[in-house]
Amino acid sequence: MTDLIQVFEYQFFRHALAAAVLTSVLAAMAGTYIVSRRIVFIGGGITHASFGGIGLAYYLGMNPFAGAAVFGILTALGIEWISQKGKIREDSAIAMLWSFGMALGIIFVFITPGYTPNLMSFLFGSILSVGRVDLQLMLAFSLVVILLFVVFFRPVLSTAFDPEFAKTKGIPVARFRYLMSVVIAISIVLSIRTVGIILVLSMFTIPQITAMLFTRNFARIIPVAALWGITGSVAGLMAAYLLDIPAAAAIIFMLTIQFLIIKGVFITLNNLRRKGARRR
Amino acid sequence: MNKPLVILEKMSTGYFSETVLKEVDLEIFPDDFIGVIGPNGGGKTTLIKAILGLQRLFSGKISFPRGRPNTGYLPQASQIDRGFPITVKELVSAGLKSSNPLFPHLSPKQRRKLNAMLEEAGLAGLAGKPIGELSGGQLQKALLCRALIDDPQLLILDEPNTHVDKQFEQELYGWLGALNKKMAIMLVSHDIGTISPIVKTIACVNGTLHYHPSNQLSEEVLKVYNCPVDVIAHGPIPHRVLKSHHHD
Ligand SMILES: Nc1ncnc2c1ncn2[C@@H]1O[C@H](COP(=O)(O)OP(=O)(O)OP(=O)(O)O)[C@@H](O)[C@H]1O
Ligand SMILES: [Mg+2]
Repeated sequence: MTDLIQVFEYQFFRHALAAAVLTSVLAAMAGTYIVSRRIVFIGGGITHASFGGIGLAYYLGMNPFAGAAVFGILTALGIEWISQKGKIREDSAIAMLWSFGMALGIIFVFITPGYTPNLMSFLFGSILSVGRVDLQLMLAFSLVVILLFVVFFRPVLSTAFDPEFAKTKGIPVARFRYLMSVVIAISIVLSIRTVGIILVLSMFTIPQITAMLFTRNFARIIPVAALWGITGSVAGLMAAYLLDIPAAAAIIFMLTIQFLIIKGVFITLNNLRRKGARRR
Repeated sequence: MNKPLVILEKMSTGYFSETVLKEVDLEIFPDDFIGVIGPNGGGKTTLIKAILGLQRLFSGKISFPRGRPNTGYLPQASQIDRGFPITVKELVSAGLKSSNPLFPHLSPKQRRKLNAMLEEAGLAGLAGKPIGELSGGQLQKALLCRALIDDPQLLILDEPNTHVDKQFEQELYGWLGALNKKMAIMLVSHDIGTISPIVKTIACVNGTLHYHPSNQLSEEVLKVYNCPVDVIAHGPIPHRVLKSHHHD
């Protein structure tokens, strides 16, 4: 127990906690949009395509996350464009971008002269090395997205739910869809920093399906998902420290366990209620 | 002078390079009540999407002599994702336009209108419910409210009788009759039998459009129009309305 209290004295751990909270908030917003629109697969495409940007940036000696952001945003816009034009099968196009990005990333990292970067930190994140600038960036972007959701809630919701109807009401549907694509891409790339490419999608989906056990109201799913994201990822961080296991994996493990426990409680409560009703 | 709301002239449209509707001519007047019938895949939905500006035209044109009309659209049930986490109130409120695009929230007046509409439709008790928890009829009612809340000049309904019982369907047709005093209506249906008593004219859509300027249509005419739809009567009403030459 004293171990757990002591760890808060380390700056790296306080940074990691802040990163977990901010990632949870960002993932709650973008993830609720993704899950509601049933476009988790698009999130996967953006995530993996951004690895191509990481590789290219390494090769050019630039910041790998800038590379990831450029690739992520271009992929997101490209997928939205394809889906609006509807000329190619969207799922096949996503699968192509998904694996092409990964291939490109590996090739660039391979041909980069000198030292080989730590690929593991991109695949599994490095939440324990998150710095002040990373946190500031995440905080700033979180605030922008919160503002966006608050001000444009109605058109964001109606273009996500029924874009054709929204269009008949004069809403610039394409503009909102592209805007949300960029928001999703940046949220994903910022989260890659903390949980890595392999695990990032679970931050965008597990807290949401947990929240959806409690509410089916878009506006309420977001804060509830943020809450479960925070509890799960903080628990994961603690577990990672105590058991000395990789942090990102521990976070996803905790998010999943948390979902299963809550789901179990709901099922039990429902059964009890049904039995009670039958007795009466 | 009775100017049309919408004029379609030799309009062709479709998907990718495949033409679904060819050379459609149609005029919609402010007091029209057009029943749109036709077989599955005949192009009924495509036609109304073209009128709503959701389709790219391959040729021909659509014009609006009175300016672009305010439309109310009730899409086909298959286009609605019932698993989407949106409440009844949010769904209906999507029908209201925001006056300020940079701060698109409802004005107090619009909020009052929304509540009044939900109250009138008997949906007030369900306002906070997600649409996934509604019955088929309740969902259609909510979608109808969304279409109506902005006082449209042209109401377009794509098979509003899907997933609803006969009683609700008759109730719905009653409302539409009353609404037609204030707006033009286009009602898409497979089933000419049940809609023919309430519509004024009929458009048969199957690759192109045949306009029939009355609500009485015989099987022979349907054949000429190449419009194989169900003419089997449901209940007592259609027998009176459908002038079937075989029977008398
Ligand atoms: N999004 C789309 N992409 C490609 N083809 C489409 C699309 N929507 C419709 N079609 C094709 O266009 C044709 C007409 O479809 P439409 O939906 O307009 O028919 P419909 O008369 O409304 O049929 P239903 O009674 O089944 O609703 C069909 O052959 C269909 O396959
Ligand atoms: Mg249709």
